[in-house]
Amino acid sequence: MRALVIDDSRAMRRIVASILEGFGYETRPAGHGREALDVLEEGWVPDLACIDWNMPVMDGLQFVSAVRAVPAWRSVTLMMVTTESEHGQIVKALAAGAHEYVIKPFTADAIGDKLALLGLLPTEVPA
Amino acid sequence: MSAPITHLLDGETVTAVAGEVWSALVGEEEYLVPGYGLDGPPVAGPSAWVTVTGPWNGLVVLTCDQAGTADLTRSVLQMRADEEATEEDVDDVLRELANILGGNVKSLLPGPSVLGLPETGAAPLRASDEDTCRVAASWRGHHLAITIQGATEAPVFTTEVPL
Amino acid sequence: MTTALATPGFDWVCQLVRRESAIVLAPGKEYLVEARLMPLARQLGLSGVSELVERCRARPDPATNRRIVEALTTNETSWFRDGDPFTALTSTVMPALQAARRPTDPIAIWSAACSSGQEAYTIGMLLADSMPGAASRVRITATDLSRDMVARTRAGRFSQLEVNRGLPAPMLVRHFSRVGTEWEIAPALRQMVTASELNLAGPLPRLGPFDVVYLRNVLIYFDPPTKREVLRKVRQVMRPDGWLFLGAAETTLGVDDSWERVPCGRGSAYRPTKGK
Repeated sequence: MRALVIDDSRAMRRIVASILEGFGYETRPAGHGREALDVLEEGWVPDLACIDWNMPVMDGLQFVSAVRAVPAWRSVTLMMVTTESEHGQIVKALAAGAHEYVIKPFTADAIGDKLALLGLLPTEVPA
Repeated sequence: MSAPITHLLDGETVTAVAGEVWSALVGEEEYLVPGYGLDGPPVAGPSAWVTVTGPWNGLVVLTCDQAGTADLTRSVLQMRADEEATEEDVDDVLRELANILGGNVKSLLPGPSVLGLPETGAAPLRASDEDTCRVAASWRGHHLAITIQGATEAPVFTTEVPL
Repeated sequence: MTTALATPGFDWVCQLVRRESAIVLAPGKEYLVEARLMPLARQLGLSGVSELVERCRARPDPATNRRIVEALTTNETSWFRDGDPFTALTSTVMPALQAARRPTDPIAIWSAACSSGQEAYTIGMLLADSMPGAASRVRITATDLSRDMVARTRAGRFSQLEVNRGLPAPMLVRHFSRVGTEWEIAPALRQMVTASELNLAGPLPRLGPFDVVYLRNVLIYFDPPTKREVLRKVRQVMRPDGWLFLGAAETTLGVDDSWERVPCGRGSAYRPTKGK
């Protein structure tokens, strides 16, 4: 399983990546939406993208819309991981095409629960 | 134009939000011990903040005493005993904590509001007392302050000790 | 600032928690005790946790002791915890019940150790989303040993950390609204759930009959005779064609032979055997 971790905070990329790696994922970081699109365009299409909302250059919502516009990337599960936590913001992200939404702050268990819901928890890795 | 922050938020709510941020991000076994009071001692150390723009305009500022920032960074990044936190790591961690505090505070204010990207430096000059909500707390004996302050810099001073 | 909790006070709290809940607080958890008990100390008008502990030691008060234990032993539970018993509800159990009942018959479900209500509301949301008229037809009874947990279930309010735990985002936006720092379940869902205090180890009040019972991760805390007794009492409040879900690590096998284990969804459920 592969995951793209998109956040302008290095600390947050490290935290999310280490949680995903604990579940057996191979991860790649990106500092904003544009950098993440570069990774996809290069042919590294992940199973999961964890996406911050507020980032420089291209924000998470723009990234979600851009990915959903490309049929070849339809297999990527898009999960927002952001401090934006109003009801309306979650509705907006889901309408743009995000599949799931994790509000910061979160625990490693919260990410695990979401992966289980999405059927993205590799079964060969012992819990 | 909305009411000043003291009419929108209270210290206990901010403390509860910060407590959740701490236990999730700094570590499951890490607790922010609230000072419960807006007149805690000034904090001497760097700050990180985000702007909130909407019906209420202002900043959400986190200040941590100098000695505490390295510990905080090491905890958030789950560094091994032999790893050193660089200045860049410290800045990044403070910025992200301010971002998460800011986003959660924003969700409690009248909307729609927009969150800015986080910045770091010496504590910004703050607004009048009526438009300032400050919570002092301690973590592993280090002093911290979370200050939610209006954008109007009425009195030209900061509560915290500048760098 | 208040005085920090000293070692004798911390030890007293550890012993209390261990005696009442069998949960062991490791040394070095002083910060946990401080942070979790501070709100209780403040509610009681005390300046800090040391003062709270001193007062309880000087004037023992079971009610306060109980609140201390509850403050230190509550854990987050997730929504679709071990998802199988929930997917099985909509894929297997409800179709079977709908075929066996008249369209107007009520469907009664028991969440038998409801904690803060996630299980009961998960069931409610799933049925509200998949079954027309669920709000008027489905009755969910949620019970717990803890008075605080029952009150929390009734309130139907959850912290951000709690809604982050395995609640699908589309369900969150459909069934919850923000109230301050918390998320509140929609009134229609709250009306489906009735919460009350109940000790499974004691005699059961008038309950049921239930079509479905969720008794998950409860039996593990009881000794074998109590397990058998609890299962016998549960069977008495279930319909003969009802369904029982246990925790993933629990079974009736070797405990009470009046149940039949049946495959249900990707996991299994237990059904009363005929006769008794």
